[in-house]
Amino acid sequence: EETSPASASLKASGYTEKGADTCLKCHDEESEFPVFSIFKTKHAQKADKRTPFAGLQCETCHGPGAEHAKKVPEGQKQAPIIKFGANSKVSVDKQNKLCLDCHQGNARNGWQASTHQGGDLACASCHKIHAPRDPVLAKTTQPDVCYNCHKKERSDFFKPSTHPVRAGLITCSECHSPHGSNTDALLVKPTINQTCYTCHAEKRGPFLWEHAPVAEDCTICHNPHGSVHTSLLKKNPPLLCQQCHAPSGHPSVAYTGDSLPGGSDPANSAFLLARGCANCHSQVHGSNHPSGSRWMR
Amino acid sequence: DTGEAGGTLPAVDMTEWKCKYCAFEEGFSGTVDLGLGYVSTDSYKFGEYTGLTDEGLYLIGDADLRYRGADASYLNVDVSRLGLDSRSLGVEGGKQGKYKLTFEYDELPHYISDSVSTPFLGTGTDTLTLPPTWVGAGSTGGMTDLANSLHSVNLDTKRKRLGLGAAFASGSQWEYAVKVRHEVREGTQRTAGNFFFSTAQLVMPVDTVTDQVDASATYTGKKFQARLAYYGSLFSNENTALNWQNPYFTGGTVDAGQIALAPDNQFHQILASAGYQFTDSTRATADLAFGRMTQNETFLGATVNSGIVVPAQPRSSLEGLVNTLNANLKITSALTQALRLNGSYTYNDHDNRTPQASYYWVSTDIPPVQQRTNLPYSFTQGTLKVSGDYRFTKQTKASLGVDSDTRERTYQEVSKSTENTVWAKANTRVVDNVYLTLKGAHAERDINGYEVLPWVSPAENPLLRKYNMADRVRDTAGLRADFTIGSAISLGFGYDYANDDYSKSLIGLTESKDTTLAADASARLGKSTSLHVYFTNEQIRSHQAGSAGGLTPDWTGENYDSVNTGGIGVKHALIAGKFDIGADYTISNAHGEIKVYDGSANAPFPDLVSRLGSVKLYATYRLKDNLSLKGTYWYEHYRSDDWQLDGVTPSTISNVLAFGEQAPSYYVNVFMLSLRYKF
Repeated sequence: EETSPASASLKASGYTEKGADTCLKCHDEESEFPVFSIFKTKHAQKADKRTPFAGLQCETCHGPGAEHAKKVPEGQKQAPIIKFGANSKVSVDKQNKLCLDCHQGNARNGWQASTHQGGDLACASCHKIHAPRDPVLAKTTQPDVCYNCHKKERSDFFKPSTHPVRAGLITCSECHSPHGSNTDALLVKPTINQTCYTCHAEKRGPFLWEHAPVAEDCTICHNPHGSVHTSLLKKNPPLLCQQCHAPSGHPSVAYTGDSLPGGSDPANSAFLLARGCANCHSQVHGSNHPSGSRWMR
Repeated sequence: DTGEAGGTLPAVDMTEWKCKYCAFEEGFSGTVDLGLGYVSTDSYKFGEYTGLTDEGLYLIGDADLRYRGADASYLNVDVSRLGLDSRSLGVEGGKQGKYKLTFEYDELPHYISDSVSTPFLGTGTDTLTLPPTWVGAGSTGGMTDLANSLHSVNLDTKRKRLGLGAAFASGSQWEYAVKVRHEVREGTQRTAGNFFFSTAQLVMPVDTVTDQVDASATYTGKKFQARLAYYGSLFSNENTALNWQNPYFTGGTVDAGQIALAPDNQFHQILASAGYQFTDSTRATADLAFGRMTQNETFLGATVNSGIVVPAQPRSSLEGLVNTLNANLKITSALTQALRLNGSYTYNDHDNRTPQASYYWVSTDIPPVQQRTNLPYSFTQGTLKVSGDYRFTKQTKASLGVDSDTRERTYQEVSKSTENTVWAKANTRVVDNVYLTLKGAHAERDINGYEVLPWVSPAENPLLRKYNMADRVRDTAGLRADFTIGSAISLGFGYDYANDDYSKSLIGLTESKDTTLAADASARLGKSTSLHVYFTNEQIRSHQAGSAGGLTPDWTGENYDSVNTGGIGVKHALIAGKFDIGADYTISNAHGEIKVYDGSANAPFPDLVSRLGSVKLYATYRLKDNLSLKGTYWYEHYRSDDWQLDGVTPSTISNVLAFGEQAPSYYVNVFMLSLRYKF
């Protein structure tokens, strides 16, 4: 939004007389809305000319505060000021515009019409601007911010087979780009597989003998957030593999509990127990061995 | 990024804006935690990713150091888990708004299994040999030296990542950044190697390096933003092959095998993106990325069996090449205050240009020599999305959209499929403190025919439909409700439903359904106590059909996984500012039921079970203004049953020389005591 000199002087009339000093008189650490932690953040850096405190201080973001700072009789509410967050009365678009005026570039380029923008998320729904360490930007605290809405994912990371999010070694944002991306799950790379290859480059190939679904989309077989089954698989072999392989011979057979240890059909145990199909087809992610066309070499 | 462009400010008389109460931070500050922890029991599963795997003492070392200068110079140092195998160090410094330098060092362990036994010597290397006393036999039961030769091996890998980064801002609009990451991954994983139908689980060496580079130039203007970037990823493997002696060898020439390990490969990508704000209400963005995946590792021989003569291969290496193109164009425009329209088109191309040739191959080092041509699979996806958002009131918004996703594949059963989706979503703040979101979608995927591939031998059942490219009807629905009661209590509730119907598939996956129910609540009770509770129930069901007879379906399989996870956490200030205590309790129970019906009265599968219970009690006592004592007691138990592993010893299966791995269970107590110094 371009600001003409006329509208600027009109707006200017609503600003406080003493800037932040006006605000800080009331908003001390004992008040209902303490604000001093902002001085531990990058926004409070006068020497960086782009920051709010190099500009209109508190009112850079919270808008003209003269009305709000006026004394009111006891029991009455102060005049409102621009507040941020999910529970603010200020529309999400207006809140976000104040942030995007400075932060439109880089990762926010695709914010408009992204999943989170469409869901009416305010920047301050996830970011704590006044916190010395914004929890959503710190490795150990980020997932808890995401779990506020993505409740299932909190449970996923307790499953027996999972990525080390619960252990605090990786964050949601290592795979996901919350400000918008061109993939369905807001991934950091243009495709699912390109995202997975950032940590699993050994599976990239191209291989002499490719396994088509592997090259297409890792999530055809794996659930990246966690699974009851081994290796983040959607189900255990042999049933996993038998969803796509049914030629006559061993892939088409119904393997049952009869082939469990001590069962009546031990001849078929090799197809069921230990790693199931992967007892022989161990190279299912692709093989570069001339004799690896069936992923056994 | 170092920062962003500044907004335009109105002219305000600021002569009295002294900011004398502004408590700008300058100089050093931070916290250092030092102490000792004690783990009561050895367990790889407990310490799977944290490194708390061994009974005994460990060092607690964490630090968060900051420096802030009046000239905008700054430094942040983060040290985490110094005494553990999952330690990390991060340093970021520079001059805010001008430049930023970063250094990162992380260790990411993965403790895979501590219940593996193998008779093979040389685990961790590329050559596995059997002990001199080994007696080969046609079945594991006949391997008379097995019990004597078995020894325990732990499977684990560790990634060590070193990252360096620099970013410079030039003026308020240009920024240049470069990041490099060097990752070494070492350790061991599972694999297996077979000779016809006799196989052995093998320990595979992991010794790889992945180097990644991100370099970008970003322009952020008021109306126009753009970014040009390069991404490179180079993977190299110290080992090209895993060689192993045939434990089933009783004579002849099939005495050893060789598996190819992941070949060296590279990926280079140029990315460009731009955004243009036509007006306050209309914005367009475009992204374009060209990539090249290459792989040219020298081929191994088709067999290590000295008795087989293999003609010369048509190529000595693959010259594998995949060109990738990922493009997106998106336009969003608010036609009125209430109505916004969005349109986007995404195009993803994975164009496999790897040359085809007819290779001589030998199945599991056993004659005959056969020929087969490689299939360089290509994939193309084009997705058109159109949607509109209508804001009925300030508090109520509804969205309606249609997506059309077309996929093309080469050398596969389905050459083209199109999935059309209609979706709708509404959010409303019913009253000030009740926020509701409802969404639903219906999608139909149609294929242009399903071909039985002539080169697949033995021939695939013509009734099979591979589920990733079969006709499918997908229905999803979701509900979210958030309530706040005063400023102290918030409640959240969510339900999600997804059903995939493959009713045109007679063999293969025929249906899958997921439902998730989740609820959480947090409350602040007075000034000194806060409480958090959550619960999630997830159910995943699927049905599939098979045909042992090779024609029509004659068996079905059902999977039913259910997971219940719940937790409660409480924090309480016993003496305000002096003595804080807290507790967390979590349970996560998972069941996996698998049923296979083939018309006979066969034995059922036991449930896959995992039960996790975890309690953490912690207290922080402030000894002095800058010194606190923190104590934590953590108890966790885990039990798992997995019929694929339980009771399977190395010789249980006559033709699988297995690891004898058992499903993990543990009871672990961890005691932690540390001092926090704050300055």
